[in-house]
Amino acid sequence: MNNTFNAKRFALLFKKTLLERPTQMFGFTGLILAVILILYFVCKSQISFPVAQNITFIWGLAGGACFFASFVFGYFSSNASGASYLTLPASAFEKWLCGILITGVLYPLIFLLFYRMMDTGFVAMYHNSLDPSSPLYKMQYDAVYVFSFTGRLAMKVYPIYLLLTGISLIGSLYFNKASFIKTALSFCLVCFALFAFNWMFAIILFGKIDSAFPFHGVDLLVGKEVGSIDLPKQMFQVYAYASDFIVPLLFWGLTYIRLREKEF
Amino acid sequence: MIQIQNLSFGYNRKKLLYKNLNLKMEAGSIYGLLGKNGAGKSTLLKNLIGLLFPNEGSISVNGFTPKKRSPSFLETIYLIPEEVHVPPLTIHGYMNLFSPFYPDFDKVKFFDYLNQLDVKDEGKLNTLSFGQQKKFIIAFALACNTKVLLLDEPTNGLDIPSKIRFRKLISSVFSDDRMIFISTHQIRDLDNLIDRVIIVDKGELLLNASVDEIADKLCFKTVSEVDDMNQVLYSEQSLKGFSIVKENTESENSKVNLEHLFNAITEKPEMAKAIFK
Repeated sequence: MNNTFNAKRFALLFKKTLLERPTQMFGFTGLILAVILILYFVCKSQISFPVAQNITFIWGLAGGACFFASFVFGYFSSNASGASYLTLPASAFEKWLCGILITGVLYPLIFLLFYRMMDTGFVAMYHNSLDPSSPLYKMQYDAVYVFSFTGRLAMKVYPIYLLLTGISLIGSLYFNKASFIKTALSFCLVCFALFAFNWMFAIILFGKIDSAFPFHGVDLLVGKEVGSIDLPKQMFQVYAYASDFIVPLLFWGLTYIRLREKEF
Repeated sequence: MIQIQNLSFGYNRKKLLYKNLNLKMEAGSIYGLLGKNGAGKSTLLKNLIGLLFPNEGSISVNGFTPKKRSPSFLETIYLIPEEVHVPPLTIHGYMNLFSPFYPDFDKVKFFDYLNQLDVKDEGKLNTLSFGQQKKFIIAFALACNTKVLLLDEPTNGLDIPSKIRFRKLISSVFSDDRMIFISTHQIRDLDNLIDRVIIVDKGELLLNASVDEIADKLCFKTVSEVDDMNQVLYSEQSLKGFSIVKENTESENSKVNLEHLFNAITEKPEMAKAIFK
């Protein structure tokens, strides 16, 4: 028997994972999508279409997946369910892959599909509401288009989604109870510490500074003027690549190691 | 066969719960693991199934290393924890989702066990009482036909008729190629059920003997007066005098009283060790 991966066993595990907690699994998804729909509608009505599109895309994909990820391995809030999960005859790799497929493939697919339908619907309603005979028609029509999944903002959101989801996944295996809250607090603490140390380090090196973003660049105060020192372009590309892909994927990979070594 | 060699385990490395524990258990027996609260009974069971990893030493269960939690190992062992978990599924739903992981699962026997334990198919499992949920999990675990079955305080939460049914069921499903390991502090629930007794206390194995061996080496009787306390492992005043446990030097036949045995072994461990060496 293959103790690492068996397609039949994996299919059984995937089915079991989806169906054993149907209310939570589908309820969470439904809730996130409903919140996104309401948020889109409110932002579109009160602020503007681009704001509605951007906010709901960021929160729906990165925020929603992050929330969802904390639930996928959320068996450890009670002794009985944790023991039942870890002693189920499936490999750690299969259990990990199951969680990854749900948060990394299934949820984004459902969300993107829903988002596209919602966005297309609202944009079409807006376009249909315009008066073609109005002299402003062309300008008003061109002001709103369907959100691009390959646009500048979307390309920035994907790495954030990868990072937050990875952190949430690993956090759910480190903290047995209230894992989402504890992970979020830990993340905030690490970010704060990182900024503080970076700030102190920049002051020691440069003296008066206006701002300093970790691993990125520093704005110096020269009299009343502000001057920037950024990473060299090549170095910045390495940093961007590492922060966008390597670090998030590291978290996803560490989740597997943590699951394999999990004692409960 | 389960073989534990030089096992050291502690939730805190400075304060070990077990230190250099050695234990060998064969299939074909129902083991009763007895110990006080906090003695580490559940911890030992968790080590046996790979939920906890030894700090030092090794554990082998039918040739598998539990720590690896490989599927081929997990499908041969089942742990019923003290508190059971049932998802919001019906009996059939649970069976359909969970039983395919156990190749020797027997559907006919599963429903027979449910019937014997008086578990009714009444909607979702999570709406059943704790006792009913526990009986459901016991029936499922037995139907999985695993080579090793670990039960942690199985009778907790069961009413008196259910405890009797449980004992009958365990006796009826037992076979020579299976090993059943029951951990409990409710010693009376194991009367006439187990054939080997393991007693642990303060991280130490105090006794690992068959009920026959215990009956052979110890004498459980009631006397009007205790002559020499040094010869007695345990004594308890009763209506008819004193119930005592002492070394069976005169080859007397007596019925093993598990509760008295436990008290005798934990109160005078050195004397007990000398008798069972």
